[in-house]
Amino acid sequence: MIKIKQALFLVFGITSFIMFYIGLLNYLTTQDKGMGLIFLIFSSIVAFGTLFAGLYISKNITKPIESLAQRMNEFSKNNYIKKISVDDKGIQELQSLHKNFEDMANIVGGALEKEKQLNLKLHEIDTRKTEFMSMISHELKTPLMPIMGYLQLLKKQELMGELNEKQLDAINEISISTEILQKLIQDVLTAQKIDLGKLSVEKNIVESKTLVENSYKAFNPICENKGAKLVMSLKTTEMVYSDPDRIAQVFSNLISNALSFIPEKDGLIEIGTQDNSDYVTFFVRDNGVGISEDQQKNIFKKFYQVDTSSKRKKEGSGLGLSICEGIVKALGGKMWVDSTVNQGTTFFFDLPKAKIPIERFQSFKNPAKSKK
Amino acid sequence: MSNTTSQAKNQSESRLNVLIIDDNEQITKMISSFLDLSNHDCTIVNDGKDGLELIKTKQYDSIVLDLAMPEFDGYEILDTLKKEDPSQISKIIILTASSVPLETVKKFKELGVSSCLQKPVDIDQLLSKITSVTG
Repeated sequence: MIKIKQALFLVFGITSFIMFYIGLLNYLTTQDKGMGLIFLIFSSIVAFGTLFAGLYISKNITKPIESLAQRMNEFSKNNYIKKISVDDKGIQELQSLHKNFEDMANIVGGALEKEKQLNLKLHEIDTRKTEFMSMISHELKTPLMPIMGYLQLLKKQELMGELNEKQLDAINEISISTEILQKLIQDVLTAQKIDLGKLSVEKNIVESKTLVENSYKAFNPICENKGAKLVMSLKTTEMVYSDPDRIAQVFSNLISNALSFIPEKDGLIEIGTQDNSDYVTFFVRDNGVGISEDQQKNIFKKFYQVDTSSKRKKEGSGLGLSICEGIVKALGGKMWVDSTVNQGTTFFFDLPKAKIPIERFQSFKNPAKSKK
Repeated sequence: MSNTTSQAKNQSESRLNVLIIDDNEQITKMISSFLDLSNHDCTIVNDGKDGLELIKTKQYDSIVLDLAMPEFDGYEILDTLKKEDPSQISKIIILTASSVPLETVKKFKELGVSSCLQKPVDIDQLLSKITSVTG
């Protein structure tokens, strides 16, 4: 790399030296010493003039360029530049370069400053939202406690006295609605935690088949009740890193979803595991109405409800699948769907095998922020 | 009538003396009527400071403690007991509506808290925790 200063110095220096040298050579070789001396003096003046012109030009070109470089550097560090008075005597092109850079820096700097302020404001709103949600969670859960408690008490007829059939019916209806309300509050809170990357999961070593078997046991009676068949298909005995309670939540959401979309007759739900190199793939398959490709893109988004012609009553917050995905990501896995309309849907999710060092999956601590 | 039936049912079980500290009056009332019907003695208090005073002055078999309370909260009660009377901590069942992070639950366990339950809790589960404090 070469500096402009050095290049100019070299060019002007050599030129002036050659001029002086020609003058000197002429003086030493010429017969007419008088003319030779005049020529020597003249060439010396020109040589010195060239040298000084070189120094002057070098100073006027390199100084503004150096200061521009410095200002650019300053701007990229602070997103702000100080205004400087531009010297009128300098080179015009370089001065306008300075001026234009200053204008650009002011516009970009202003925009960046605005963005910074906006970010601060958004952060503040976000913090307030989190505080609000935590407050709401407390406020909503607290009154649920006596409602649920007294409902349970009323059902204990040996303690509270006998109820007639109509009264029991009414109490059962209240219980069902209360449970739905409780699950909704829980879902909103879980989704909120996933959003903030604050979902706490335990990464314990668990048998993959135990996770499936637990959910099978929990849901077999429910499926039988609804006239659907629940089957289990275990293709691997691997251990995985998992949080059994959270995975039970994932299975519960997926099986409940499947139950709302399978045909009323011959409904079939299959749950199980497959080997998949470093992971164990879990799945929940149904022979329901299926999900079109367009809808598949959106189903993991919050509050998205699949619009189908199914006559079945659809309930829920539209948070179920986004919660499932959040939990699986927090555990170091991923989730996807495969579906054919009118044939059925399969939801898959991976969990890392326990023989792989857990450090490899620690980077998934913040599912909300890693998702783009 | 209900009293006689419940007494008959719980005759063989030992009668427990339970303290409930929660600023929500509906919750304390509900739990106390349940404990009452299950034939246990129950003291309710809706203020953290009064709760701490009772823990220090009287003997309870089991203490149900809310965390978020105005003025003097459950954390402060735990802190004070840790310094002044740590033997009481093993009787405490935390009952809270706020979601407690896993690390905090672990800290409670290290401190010796009997259990940590989330509102709304299953009332039978709460009773089983209350009875299991005393074995």
